[in-house]
Order: sequence, then structure tokens, then C-alpha cells
Amino acid sequence: MFTVGAISFIAPAALLGLAVLPVLWWLLRVIPPAPKRLSFPAIRLIMRLVNPEEESAKTPLWLTLLRLAMLVLIILAAAHPILNAGGKLAGSGPLVVVVDDGWTSAKNWRKRQTVFANLVDQAERNGRPVAVITTAPGPADSSRDMASLLTADSARRFLGALQPKPWPVNRDAAASILNDLDIGTAADVFWLSNGLKQIGEDESTNEFANGLQRLGKVTVFSDPAEDMPVILLPPVSERTGLKATFRRLQRSGSQSLKLRYRDEKGGVLARRDAVIGPGKKEGTFQLDVPAELRNRITLIEIENQNTAAATVLVDERWRRRPVGLVSAIKRSGDQPLLDNLFYLDRALDPFTEVRLGTIQELLKRELALMLLADPGKMNKVERTALGRWIESGGVAVRFAGPKLATKQGLTVDPFLPVRLRKGDRELGGALSWSKPAHLAAFDEKSPFAGLTVPGDVFIHRQVLAQPAVDLSEKTWARLSDGTPLVTAEKRGRGWLVFFHITASPAWSNLPLSGLFVSMLQNLVQMSRGVTGKTSDALLKPLQSVNGFGRLGPARAGALAIKGGDFLGQKPGPHHPPGFYGDEAARRAFNLSPSLGQMAAIGALDAGIATANYQASREKDYRGHLLMAALLLAILDIIASYTLRGYFTRARTAAIVACIVIGLGSLSPASAQQKFDPLQGPDEKLMSPTLKIRLAYVKTGNRRIDDTSFAGLTGLAFITNSRTAADMGRPIAIDPAADELSYYPLIYWPISEDAENIDAATAARLNKYMKSGGTIFFDTRDHGSSGINSDRLEEISRHLDLPTMTAIPSDHVLTKAYYLLREFPGRWTGGRLWVERMAGQSPGSGGSSGRRVNDGVSSIIVGAHDWAAAWALDDARKPLFPAVPGGERQREMAYRFGINLMMYVLTGNYKADQVHLPAILERLGQ
Amino acid sequence: MTATSPSRDAHVRADLHHRAEVLSAKLPPLMVAAERVAATVSQGVHGRKRVGQGETFWQFRRYEWGDPIQQIDWRRSAKSDIVYLRENEWEAAQSVWLWSDASPSMQYSSSKQLPTKAEHAELLTFALTSLLVRGGEHVAPLGAGIIPTTGRTALFLMAAAMEAAEKASTGKEEESLPPFEPVPSHGRVVLMSDFLEPLDDINRAVGALADRGVDGHILQIIDPAEESLPFKGRTRFEGMEGEGDALIGKVEGVQSAYRDEFAAQRRGLQAIARTAGWGFAGHVTDQPAETALLSLYMALTASRDLMGMR
Repeated sequence: MFTVGAISFIAPAALLGLAVLPVLWWLLRVIPPAPKRLSFPAIRLIMRLVNPEEESAKTPLWLTLLRLAMLVLIILAAAHPILNAGGKLAGSGPLVVVVDDGWTSAKNWRKRQTVFANLVDQAERNGRPVAVITTAPGPADSSRDMASLLTADSARRFLGALQPKPWPVNRDAAASILNDLDIGTAADVFWLSNGLKQIGEDESTNEFANGLQRLGKVTVFSDPAEDMPVILLPPVSERTGLKATFRRLQRSGSQSLKLRYRDEKGGVLARRDAVIGPGKKEGTFQLDVPAELRNRITLIEIENQNTAAATVLVDERWRRRPVGLVSAIKRSGDQPLLDNLFYLDRALDPFTEVRLGTIQELLKRELALMLLADPGKMNKVERTALGRWIESGGVAVRFAGPKLATKQGLTVDPFLPVRLRKGDRELGGALSWSKPAHLAAFDEKSPFAGLTVPGDVFIHRQVLAQPAVDLSEKTWARLSDGTPLVTAEKRGRGWLVFFHITASPAWSNLPLSGLFVSMLQNLVQMSRGVTGKTSDALLKPLQSVNGFGRLGPARAGALAIKGGDFLGQKPGPHHPPGFYGDEAARRAFNLSPSLGQMAAIGALDAGIATANYQASREKDYRGHLLMAALLLAILDIIASYTLRGYFTRARTAAIVACIVIGLGSLSPASAQQKFDPLQGPDEKLMSPTLKIRLAYVKTGNRRIDDTSFAGLTGLAFITNSRTAADMGRPIAIDPAADELSYYPLIYWPISEDAENIDAATAARLNKYMKSGGTIFFDTRDHGSSGINSDRLEEISRHLDLPTMTAIPSDHVLTKAYYLLREFPGRWTGGRLWVERMAGQSPGSGGSSGRRVNDGVSSIIVGAHDWAAAWALDDARKPLFPAVPGGERQREMAYRFGINLMMYVLTGNYKADQVHLPAILERLGQ
Repeated sequence: MTATSPSRDAHVRADLHHRAEVLSAKLPPLMVAAERVAATVSQGVHGRKRVGQGETFWQFRRYEWGDPIQQIDWRRSAKSDIVYLRENEWEAAQSVWLWSDASPSMQYSSSKQLPTKAEHAELLTFALTSLLVRGGEHVAPLGAGIIPTTGRTALFLMAAAMEAAEKASTGKEEESLPPFEPVPSHGRVVLMSDFLEPLDDINRAVGALADRGVDGHILQIIDPAEESLPFKGRTRFEGMEGEGDALIGKVEGVQSAYRDEFAAQRRGLQAIARTAGWGFAGHVTDQPAETALLSLYMALTASRDLMGMR
């Protein structure tokens, strides 16, 4: 093989043909093309003109050059050039390719595939067999099947089916397979490694790589340290909230990451930045999400990692804590402000799940915190149940009250952390000299430490603790005069907390203050959370995380886990990470906790070559060259015939045009762009301004582009026939290059292979949206796969996205032309998302929208594949079925389309119709 | 280059007939000036404004000694004592021989938009025949050995002769030259061809007729391309009648030389016509045929105006 730059020639001998080009040049020059022949009556006159000594004509220079170029192309094609060909494989034995296909490989999977494919290509050219060994254990013992020699073709097929696994590699098993491998001669071994030691491997040496040398010359591919994956450990509940830990390979330099929180349906709830400090192996991050969102989090992932270890599933354990309010009787609704429970309910509801019931009812289900607001007498069964619950980790919070105050002293109440004096103390009453007491600052040891005490909290009445040695230790909050206000005692694994005041404002105004809410929150955080009922029931796999960290249906081969073994289980082929259990109580099984610290593979022997995954895919240019030569040959024929006078100039132009168009339609996108008659500069510049035209973003996927065009054409046709709008042909645009400001609406279908946009394009799109344009994203997948939504996220990353909300029921889009309730396309049932207008609470009307952009949402997102529903063929017949509603649904899709057109063209004037009754009334006067 | 099939069907022929009629209808009947009564000139229908043989009354005249008695108009003489002779107006017709070149070289047009030279030649022949017949003259195709006739017969004969000439055409060089026929002196000949043959040959053919005292007219019909040679590039020109071919490396370069050659050929033709005392006119096929017909008409009537008024 002979290599020039990135291009290698497989048959370089053919390049010698270039040496004879000067001879060919001379030959071509002296052999002129045949003259054109012409019958002419006045030949006698011409004969008198002929000069017999006239020099023989020469081939025109351009024709000679054309023919030479053709020859050069053929010679180059014969030399079989290949771009990015890896160095020629020395040796002739089989190729052994060892692939680390554990979770780590997912991050740079594409590069690994490229390297693999290049190796297979080279093996094919040299006719060498390939053995492929994957190191991650498979569901069955499939890697053992691969340990035989394959032809390059079947290796390629194997490569196509190979996917990274969401569990770690097990090189010991692979090594034993390699030991069994019988290949006879010396092989070339390529280890596409993940660059990491496997868990429990010895630090200093690299046994596996050394073992490979037994087979032949070894080359190890690995990623650079910057490209190593980052692990996200499941968050830990702390008093202040959830805290997540990242782990990475030790290296200098800080690393900034982005975390994404997703809900049940894969929608992104929030994105947060996080940083691992320079030189650190670990970083922590506070998950500061609003309490309302926290319960909806199903999955947390690090952006752009795409590994199973960067994806953490979150189940009930991380959810809102269930809090029980003990209430024997049903609450009376007539005087809520006097009810103790009312204030507790109000304080706890935003961030916890509040349940009401008797102690026994509450303890039937999992409970984090129990609040007893002066419940009165408890019977024995209740006392036993409560006592056992506290011992096993429950936190009971009790409040004082008149009932408690009167009954003290007779017996010792077991559910009080301190002994109380009989009766209560009144401060600042009519018969007292004292003034209502303030709260003192909280102790360092107290769970309330750090909370600021407002000056306007007064305590009027309280119950008093009997002085005791441990009273000070048990006190979590006290009044300014030192009297204990909140006392607590640890019992078993749980806590018993006592507030010396009522939960209602009868004794103090603490329940009315924000401090009360914060104190209760801290108590909730302190609770151990759900004390899971561990049983040995089998938890069947519900959903699995694949090698790229995406949550999908349960993996084939996944087995159920015994409830008791759940915590000790390690992810593997039988138990891939994911959700286990049933829909009501599912448990998250994550990969990352089992991984431990990461370490790079040890030093390699001197005989082992190293490489990294920077190779680009080989590209064979022979076909292209031959094609070009053929094209030149056709041109040459045309030119020769033209010179002979067989073609007039016009006919030649027509033939050339036919050939060019014919070739253009054959060759893919690149040629298409060049010769697309629609792409003329004049049409692009002029026509959008002459008529209202819809635009769609070219995806490069011809099928989708055709559908978009047909869809928008159909919509324009329907809109023109039903409304006063006069719309022209839709136009395909490239947001990176074309002027956007002409179009009222840009329809953007998202495909699985949609490419990201760069910052400059994003800036253009942002400007477009700010200046009144609307972008209509259609993920076209009925919201089912999630891949398209992911692509949309990637694409919209740089976009200046407004806050989105599901479309409210009184949005202008529901009444811009037709009255609509839903917005079906080819599919139906999903939601449509629009910009959330300022001052608009979720679910309430959009009529109070801000007047920026005339209230028109700058972005609309849906998944119903509208273009397919709108698409009409030339005979105005629909192209795609609408499911499940059939033609009725298509009609609705058109109505939505017309509403959409009215919306983007006329803005929110229909929204103003809400004032119509008032206006009519005024006019009537 | 349009090679029309030598044997055209009757339809095309009828169409030519029609077009010729339409063309000739625009001109008054052609009366060829006859210089004098000649044996060759048979009785015609139009008076010559002098006494002579004819059927129309011209004048009464006193009988003079020697007048034939048969001419005495007894009815007029009976009205007086004087004996009158009845004299008729001299009515005579000229005989015209027409020839149009039917060789392959005439089947040439440089562009599809233009008619071939042969088309114009035939059209003009027919139109001229038609005009002559209406004027009472006698017409015959030259070289067919037919006695000049008049009336529709003349038209049919002319058409038949042309068709025969085309069919019989073998592409020989001689066919491009007017054939010799012992035309009586004072007869008239109209020759239509491209006259691209060597001048000596043309001179010989024309001289043979002129020597017999035949009056004549030459119409050179050429294609515009033959006048200007509007071609480009390396071209091999091929003769249409077996003259051979010629390779020109760069046609643009010889254009002016060619034009000089062409002008020389035309000057030679004019000289031949002048020597013979004949008329000469040129016609290019991109011009309407009316122009050529008018010039022929003028040429044929001019001699009568000049001579007849004497």
C-alpha cells in the first residue's frame, strides 16, 4: 500500500500509468477529431479556396485536457484509492478483535465502531479471518460462540448487532475464552479497550493485555483521559435535600457537567450545572429542585455521557415523604381556623404527602413522619403500634394542648420525651406581669440550627418540662428565658419530638409563621424516609436502562430479583439496571453504586502498541472516480459529435442538461443540493416576499422532507380554499444559511438522525423567535420512542427557549378559526406545548398573556406528525392514514392547521374576544 | 440540407400548382413583346395595335390596286361608291421556352426555415407559365421537344415535364446546364438555375441558344448560405453532384475569399448575359418569390414596351 496524506492506494502499480500521460498528450494532440461534414452545392467555389499545404488541424486544447483528465481518473481508480485507510496490516494470520462492550464503551461507541469496521475492512481486503471476543458477559454465554474465526462479512454483521451493555466487563471470562481459542498461526490482536481497570483487578500490572500477547502482536486502543466517562451515584437524602455525587478518573482540570432531571414520560423537568473541581476524583451536587418537581423525577442523568452509569433511576425512596396526621374524628369543616390539624396540613402539604387517619390506619402504609396534635387518650393497641414504629425508625412529633395539660401528673405518658409539670404556664396574660416570650436562637446541635428566628413570634402559653439532668440535651428549641419549647428523645432508630405548644395559634403565633414550616421541613428531612417493607417477593423487571443510559422496556433476558437480595445485587446480564417490582411500588436498580472507584488500566508491556480511537471511517473512492470518468467519457462523446456537427448548440445543451439532471437524481444529497431547481437564488430571495409562504427545515432525510413539503402544500391548499389567506408554495430552508425573517412559521420535523445546530445557527433562530417568528417542532413520534424528543432537546439546547407549558384549554389556538379541543395530526392523544405567558399559572387561561410578540408563542412543540396528516398528493388525495380517527381526525388536523395559520398570521386578536360582551354592552348604550 | 424526394406525390404537386396560381394572380397577364411577326409566332389573341392577321376589326381602307379581293367588305362598300377593304388588327402570340434546373444541387436549403432552391424555381416556373397562358402566349418546357401550347394544356405539359426531369435526374453535371433545343429565332427563353457550374460551360450552353437569335433571360436562384458561407470550424464540404469534396480547416477564415469567388461567378454570369443580349437577375431563397416573379415580369414585358411602341 502506498500512502499520500490521508489517501492510500491499494494497487499503487497502476499509478505508473501516469508516466505515459505526456505520450498520450502528444497523441491526443496530433489526432484531430473528425471534421464536421456538410453537403454544399457551391463546392466548386470552395474547391478553389482549398490550400493543399494547409497544416493538419489539432485537437482543441480543452478537449485534450478533458480526455487526459478522464485517463487520469481511470488510472487513479485502477490504483484503488482509500481515504483514511489504517496502516496496512502486517502479517497474514487471523485478526483477533477483543471489544470491551461494557457500560464505559457507550460514551465513544461510534468511534469504537469505526475502528472495528476499519479493521474488518482491512481483514476483508487481505482475506484474513476475524475472531471477535466481547468482554462484557452476555445474557447467555454468547461470547463463547464468537470465539471462532469468522469471515470479514459475518464479523461485520456481528459488529452491526453489537451494542454496549449496561454492566461492567468481565475480562477474566474473556481471557478463558481466549485461552480456548485455537487459531494456529500468530494472529494480530486488537483490544478495543475501555481504558479502565475492571473492578477488583490488580493495580500495577495488566494481566489481560499481557495474556493477549500469547496470541500475537497486540495493539490496545483506549480513550484519552478527558474522554473517560463520569459516574453519577444515586443521590443521598440529607437534611437540606438530595445530594448527588459524581465520580471520575483522577485527573487535573475541572469538568463542568450538566444534569438533567426527567419525569415518568421522559420529559425534562430541569437542567442544572455541576462542576467537579480540578484534580478531584469526586464532586457533589445539591439537587435543588422545587418540592413540587421533586416527586416527579424518575431519572437523573449527566448530559452527553450516554452511559448507563451516568443515569440514575429514582424511586419512592427519594420521593416526597408521606406524613401522617393523627386524627380520630373527621375534621369539622365549619371552623377550620381553630383546628390544630389545619395548620399542620397547610405547612406540610407543599413538600410532603399528607395523610389523615387514626394511628393504626396510618401505620398500615409506609410513613416517614407522624404528627400527633394533642390527640387525647390512646388505647393500648395504638400505643404498642406507635412504640414499635418509632423503634424501627419512625419520627413522631407531638404537640401539646389542653387535653395533655390537664391530664399530666397522674401517670407517666410514655410518648413524651420529657416529664411535664401539671398544668400550663401562661405568659403575658391579663393577670400576669410577664410579657409573651420570644424564641431563642437554635443550638448548633439542634436539627433547627441555621434557621433564623423572626422577632415577631410570641409564645403565650406552653406546658413546662420537669427539670431533669438530660433536659438540656433533649431540648431542640427554647424560649428566650431558657424554657424548653421543643424537646426530643431518640428511641431505637426513631425519634420522639414534642412541641410544648399547640399546633394551632391558640397558644402562640408560631404556627402562623414561616419558621414553623421550616421547622417541620427539617423534621421531615430528618426522618429516615420510607421504611421499606422488605419481603422476599420477587421483583420482576419493569423497565431497563440500555447501554446508552436510556430507559426503555425491560431487556430481554432480564430476570426478577428477590426482594431480600435487592440491595446486595450487582447489575449483570441477568439483572440489568432499571426498575423492578410492579407499577405501584417499583424499585430503582442502579449501575453506579456497584462500580466503586475507577482506575486506568495498568502499564502495558513494551511490546504492546497503543492507539486511540481517533480513526475516521475508511472511504473507498474507486467508484466515485470511475463514475467521474464515465461522466467525462459522456462529455467527450458529446463534444466529439458536436465538433463533427451532429449536434447543434441547442441540442447539445439539451443533452447535457438531461444527463446532468439524470445523474443528479441518481446521486444522493450532495448532487441534489447542487442541481435542485428550487434552490435558485432568485426564487429564494424574491418569492418568499411576494406571497405568504410556509417554511420547513430540511432534515436531509428525503422521505421526511418530501412529507413536509407535501404536508405544507396540502395545508396551504386547504387554508386557501377555506379562508381569506393566500399562501404560496412552501419552501425548504436551512436555518444555518437561509434568511428566516420572511416566514411566519417554520415547521421543524425532528428525525432520529437530526443533526445538532451550532451556536451561530441558534443565534439566528433566537433572533427569529424574538422578532416575531414561530417555530413549530414536530417530533413526529407520538411521544412514544423518546429518541426524537431527545434529539429535539439536543437541538434546542442553544435556543433561548421560553418556559413551556401544556396548552391551556382556552388558548388562542383553540379558537383562532375553528373551535377545537384537541390538536390531532397523524397521531393523536399527545400534548401540545406552547410558550407559557407571563402571569399565567399552569392550567389557567392564556388570555392574560404578555404583549410581547402579540402574545403569539414563539415555539410550539408536539409529536403528532402533522405534516403527514396534511400531506396531499398531486390529485389532492391524502398520502398517509390518520390513526386512529381516520378522515375525521384528518379534518381535525386541517382545522388545527388553519387555526395555527390564523394564530401565527393574526396573533392574539381572538384572545381579545373575551372582552367582546363588555364591548357590545358599551356599544349598546 | 433538405433533400426532397425526387418523386413527389400528386398532392404536393397540386399544392405547387395552387401556390403558383395564387402567386401569378397578383400580376396582370403577361404579354411577351414580339418584335415582329415571325413564322415561329403563331396566331395569338392579343392585338398589336396595327393592321395584320387577326380576328378583331381594326379599320376600313380604300381599295387599292393589288389588294386581295377577298378582303373587300361588301357591306361597307355598298353604302357608298367607294370600295372598302376590311382590315383586322394584328393579333400575335409569342412563344416562350422555360427551363428550371432540376439537378440535385437545387434540392438544397441551408436551414429548415428556408425553401429549397428547386422549390422556388418550380414555383416561379409555374407562376410564369400561368401568367403567360393568361396573356395568351404559348409556353413550352425547354429541352422536352414539345411545341409551345397555350391554355391549361400548357400548364399540364409544363408540370409533367418538370416531374419527368426530376425523376430522370441522375446528378450528372450536364443536367445543371440548360439543354439545347433548336428554338426558332426570335423565340424567348427563360433559364432558372443556381448557375454555379464553370462559367465556360454556361457560356457555351447560353451561346448555343443565343446564336440562333433567341432572346432570353437568366435567373440565378441561390441559397443565402451559398452567398455568405456562414459556417464555422473544421468542415468537410461535399458536393451534391459528385464534384468531390473539400476540407476547410477553419471556415471562418475563408469567408471573405469565398465571397469574392461568388461575386466573380456572378459577374461572369452577367457578362455572359450581356454578351448574348439577354437579361439577368438574381434571386435568393430567403426573399419572397414574388420579388423574383415581378422582376421576370418586368423583364419580359420591358422588351415589348421598348419595341412595341415603335
